[in-house]
Amino acid sequence: MLRLNQVVKQFAQPDGDVTVLNGANFHLPVGRSAALLGESGSGKSTLLHLIAGLDTPDSGDLTIDGRSSLTLHTNDWNRLRRDRLSLIFQQYHLVPTLTVLDNLQLQARLSHRLDTAFRDHLIDRLGLDGLTRRLPHQLSGGQQQRVAIARALLHRPALVLADEPTGNLDEDTSERVMGVLVDLVRETGSSLLMVTHSAHMAGFLDEQWRLQHGQLRRLSGA
Amino acid sequence: MRGSLPIVAWLSAVALVSPVLAESDSDAGSALDIMRASGEGYRTALPGQPIGFPQDHLAHPDYRIEWWYLTANLIDTEGQPYGVHWTLFRTALRPVDSVVGWWRSNQMWMAHSAVHTPTGHHYEERFARGGIGQAGVGLAEAGQFNAWLDDWQLLGTSDAPVPGHLSTTVNGLAIELDWQADQPWVLHGDNGFSQKSGQGQGSYYYSQPRLQITGELTIDGTAVPVSGEGWLDREWSSQPLARDQQGWDWFSLQFDDGTSLMAFHLRQKDAEPYVRGTWIDADGQSRSLNEGDLVIEPLEWGEVVVDPGEGTRKSLPLRWRIELPSQNARWTVRARQADSWLATLVPYWEGPVRVEGSSGGVGYLEMTGY
Amino acid sequence: MAPATWPVTSAVRRVKAGFARLLRVLLTLLSHYRRHPLQTMFLLTGLVTGVALWSAVQVINAHARASYAEADQVLGAQASHWVRARQGQGISVDDYVQLRRQGWRSVYPILEQRLTTAEQGVISLIATDLLVLPADAATGDSGLAEGGWLQLATPPFEVWLPETLAQQLGVESGERLQLSSGRELPPARLFSREQQGLRAFMDIGAALTVLDQSRLSYLVVAELTVEDEARLNADLAELNPDLALVANQQRLDLNELTQSLHTQLSAMSLLSFAVGLFIVFNAVRFALTSRRHTLTTLRELGVSQRLLLAAIALETLVMSLVGTAGGLALGYGLSLLLLPSVAATLQNLYGAVLDHNLLLQPQTLIQAWLLTLAGLLLALAWPLWRLARQSIQSQRDEPADWQQDARARRRLLGFSMILAVLAVLLYFRLNSIVMGFTVLALILFAGAGLLPWSVALVLQGIQRVLPASAWRLNWACGDGLAQLGTLRTALMALLLALTANFGVDSLVDSFRTSLSDWLQQRLAADLFVQSDTLDIDALLAEPGDWLVESHRRNGLTVRWQDRPTQIRGLNTETSDTRALPLAAESDRASDWFDGAPDVIFANEQARYLAGIELGDRVQLPVEGQTVSFEVVGFYHDYGNPTYQFYLPHERVEALWSTAGEQGLGLWLSDDADALARAEAALTRAGARPGDWTRRDDVLAISLRVFDRTFAMTAAINALTFTVAGIALLASLLAIHQQRLPSYAHWRSMGVSGPEWLLIVGLPLGIGLLVTWLLSIPLGTLLAGLLIYDLNVLSFGWTMPLIWRFEPALTLFWLTLAVAGFTFAISALQVRLRLPQALKHLGEDAA
Repeated sequence: MLRLNQVVKQFAQPDGDVTVLNGANFHLPVGRSAALLGESGSGKSTLLHLIAGLDTPDSGDLTIDGRSSLTLHTNDWNRLRRDRLSLIFQQYHLVPTLTVLDNLQLQARLSHRLDTAFRDHLIDRLGLDGLTRRLPHQLSGGQQQRVAIARALLHRPALVLADEPTGNLDEDTSERVMGVLVDLVRETGSSLLMVTHSAHMAGFLDEQWRLQHGQLRRLSGA
Repeated sequence: MRGSLPIVAWLSAVALVSPVLAESDSDAGSALDIMRASGEGYRTALPGQPIGFPQDHLAHPDYRIEWWYLTANLIDTEGQPYGVHWTLFRTALRPVDSVVGWWRSNQMWMAHSAVHTPTGHHYEERFARGGIGQAGVGLAEAGQFNAWLDDWQLLGTSDAPVPGHLSTTVNGLAIELDWQADQPWVLHGDNGFSQKSGQGQGSYYYSQPRLQITGELTIDGTAVPVSGEGWLDREWSSQPLARDQQGWDWFSLQFDDGTSLMAFHLRQKDAEPYVRGTWIDADGQSRSLNEGDLVIEPLEWGEVVVDPGEGTRKSLPLRWRIELPSQNARWTVRARQADSWLATLVPYWEGPVRVEGSSGGVGYLEMTGY
Repeated sequence: MAPATWPVTSAVRRVKAGFARLLRVLLTLLSHYRRHPLQTMFLLTGLVTGVALWSAVQVINAHARASYAEADQVLGAQASHWVRARQGQGISVDDYVQLRRQGWRSVYPILEQRLTTAEQGVISLIATDLLVLPADAATGDSGLAEGGWLQLATPPFEVWLPETLAQQLGVESGERLQLSSGRELPPARLFSREQQGLRAFMDIGAALTVLDQSRLSYLVVAELTVEDEARLNADLAELNPDLALVANQQRLDLNELTQSLHTQLSAMSLLSFAVGLFIVFNAVRFALTSRRHTLTTLRELGVSQRLLLAAIALETLVMSLVGTAGGLALGYGLSLLLLPSVAATLQNLYGAVLDHNLLLQPQTLIQAWLLTLAGLLLALAWPLWRLARQSIQSQRDEPADWQQDARARRRLLGFSMILAVLAVLLYFRLNSIVMGFTVLALILFAGAGLLPWSVALVLQGIQRVLPASAWRLNWACGDGLAQLGTLRTALMALLLALTANFGVDSLVDSFRTSLSDWLQQRLAADLFVQSDTLDIDALLAEPGDWLVESHRRNGLTVRWQDRPTQIRGLNTETSDTRALPLAAESDRASDWFDGAPDVIFANEQARYLAGIELGDRVQLPVEGQTVSFEVVGFYHDYGNPTYQFYLPHERVEALWSTAGEQGLGLWLSDDADALARAEAALTRAGARPGDWTRRDDVLAISLRVFDRTFAMTAAINALTFTVAGIALLASLLAIHQQRLPSYAHWRSMGVSGPEWLLIVGLPLGIGLLVTWLLSIPLGTLLAGLLIYDLNVLSFGWTMPLIWRFEPALTLFWLTLAVAGFTFAISALQVRLRLPQALKHLGEDAA
């Protein structure tokens, strides 16, 4: 599903260039989930942005859904993000002026893959019944993240990229959100790559990887 | 009688709520209301007042309405028929104690000029206020009879309109006619008092039935010499119509044998038409025709276009039967052109006719109130 | 079959899907307006008011021009020529009737007269004979078809008044208007004919009778072929050599004469639109800022930049359509309100007649929409361009607003400097009204660009001099700098409105003062007599001791430089002529007073509009030839749109046999009964009541006409100020809404209500003060430009700028009131919403 091959990425900083990725290699098979651990500032989010096409590597290539990043142009990335990927953020990134229902249907509608039965199923599974007419700011953080998860899964993406999805939530809520995310990703058959700093949260997933000194190393996994 | 309808209706159209109209009751709004309204404040036309010339050729401003009315059946050098009709109407807008002039004048004038050519019918209508000299009837500098509105003018060679000259136009078509007559003026009715209803309403009315006319029409820049016979009418009154009279049909006929006939047929509500006339011998001797002396009946109705723009039509009697049982004479009078409608401020039908029967002849027919 | 159709159907499907996506993105963007109705309201208010003011003036201008196009008609009938008496003494009825009797049926009589009501109101009366008015070519209606002719033409007669005029005069249907002459007009009827304008209409016979007059003002000639024209000229020459056939050039003359006025109106309306645009700019900016995250989210969801831009463009289109529709509707209503005063101006100054049926022309619709669209794009272009350049990633971490603001302020300052330099450069080449208004606009916008920088400078200055202990004031100034980003457009809008108000107030003030002084000086006599029945020689033969001095003027109108031009003969000995204030004079000016035959005085219009100078020679037509005069002086002639020349009375008399009496001025003795004796003497000499006017009445009437003429200026000014007030309210509400979380923080830190008021209110007060202060020099500059350049270019009138502080002070209090009111509303909103914001404070930092 996703493969990184000798990816290098540097950033210019006032005190010299910082190398975030230095020939990183990684492989995530279809339907698997992986957690990406690392210190703050180790470049986890940069990596995620590269995979989402929000940023480009300095060298190396990554293959996503069978296509090499070298062959992907802006429009291809847009289409890929819209139809095959989804992103879950720590800050939820909901549209504040749309209702819960409109928010969670947004990407499915944009990619013309709105399956209302599946939508109702997700609403049910994520416990969003009775909240669908509300606006995001009328929800708690956990509820907002569950809306973001529903939005990320409704169009049945091939790959879900999550950046500290529970970073803003308390422990209990985090556990519940994490559990339902993992269950649902399995149900849709999507692959999942999640950036986290919490080993506990990482434990929910199939594989655990660590980003250190610009390299990716697999820690364990079934 | 002829021509009185247009001026009356003109007034009522102009005067939305004329004080004169306030008296009328039954069919308010009809064009004839002023004719039927009482002539209070004006002099009344009564029998027994002698007509005198030349002074009665001039205007009678203390009577409400008055007209000078010329019709002519003419032919050009190739025998093609033409008809000319020219009228000057006078009306007083309100009664005044003494006749006032200048802009304060209560006199109003209207004139119609119409021509029938072999190819069509044309007419024009003009208005003018009295008092300022734009229109009027009086004596010109050399003492000739003069009736005019703007540059339309009927000018006598003396203090009478006969012999005389008409100078008029119809939308650019120029008409110049000269006339004289051998016959004397004909006073209708009772020495010039012509009764118009059983209730006493009437007018002063006299005519010159046999004008010998020569002249020239200028049509599209081409001069057409014409000649023929004409008829001049003079009439004035303050309240000529009774309240239940709806309209009239008026005939001026000139027979080939030199005799002439004036006849009118006043249509009345819920009553037989009021029919009167005057028979004029070839030597000018006249005889009044009263009820029983004269039969007038429509024979055939035809469609007349009254508004060429909209294509609106009206049905009018275009063929008539006239009989003088005592003389054992009968005629059929036929309109020469159905297209003789004047869609003036107040519309009416006026056109030349051809006469067949006891003797042949020509004439003019006026039909109002349809 | 199948293979061929496949690609087509898939292409169709793709287009359909793309369209659906566009719609989805658009709906997502538009949801913002649904959730923020107040902002939506302000955005639309800005658009609607801007468009409304602009389109109102546009509608009026178009309407006025349409009316000029009808100047070749009189009361609905064609008027290709006039027959006028050469010396302007009118036409006798006999001459008119003679023309009719010669077959000139397209000639009809007109009486036109200015009447003064008993309450010193001025009305124009037009009268004709409906019986002879040629039928309207278009409708075939003769003059008789409308209204009740008989009542109009028979005693007691009627006077037809358009409703607006009747309202102005306070006349009800059936009432009789009293004239200053003691006469009474016939009962009024609220009705008006085509091209009657704001004039009273009567039957000509009735008018001559009621006003006791005998002559017609002029004759109108409906249509003339070239041959007819020659024939009519010949007939006129034979009939009465005093009569002249004059081609009706009013249509051209009016277009030319009124052009300046319309340009001025357009400029003022564009200013209003610009002020409206500031609101729009503010609202759009805020709408985009608040949706920055939504835009990023959409990008993250795979919406392409192109699609996003298309959606924003579509949003702009929707907004522009809604704004235009609302603006035009409001503008049309507004134009109905403004029309009477514009019509009054045009009639007073130029004698142009405006009908009251307003037309909304298709090109006004399209122009309004394009203007709105252009304005919106202008407001959107910059933030969009910035947004488009950014990568998705960097959109999430924008630098703080206030840092950007400092940059924007500097940029605005630079921009304003460029505009100022352009203004100066252009000013030295100033030679047209349009250019004048361009300079004016450049100055205004340069001033506006300068404002944010000035406010920041003041705030920073205060911060610098404040002692460290005054931490609250320090904080207030710092907060002011943070507010400035959102507030600056509103302040700029306010500056424009204040400047325009102060500038135009100063202009009107200066003009009114100059006019009033000028009138005081020029109207020196106690009584002014204008009468065509008065035997002046008889009056002056043995006047009696009530008379101290008299001044008899003569004159005529000729055509010079292809424009109507007045020539007036003055008595060089009288005290008012001796004191004639000249705007400029040459050494030979005294020769004029000595009666030198070859010198002439000209009004300033001739100097500035016809471009003659002192020492130049002018050639005036004298009975088929020309006579040359040297211009030795220019005099002020306010309110006169035509050129005028002064010559000694005897000179005019000698040169032009057709010159007629142009009024008589009488100085009365100090005796208590002098006036009564003068009036008795006048009556004896043939004058009729109403033929003479007392000095104070002339003054009062003139100033009333002036005030009515400038009423619309005041109206547009007030509206512009209102729009600026709305801009301020919109900004304050936006600021507070954006900063509500900060306020919640402050509250949680223990900032009290009064402290909050100080921190938030003080910088606003400082900003307003700086704005107001800046508006004074800018407004003065504006007034100067209007008075010294634009007025001269437009009307040829010069006058000194009379600077007064009072209008500025009035504007200060007005600004304070508007600001206080809007601040109170926004503060109230904060108070209502703060508890909710405090609740959210603990939940998350996002």
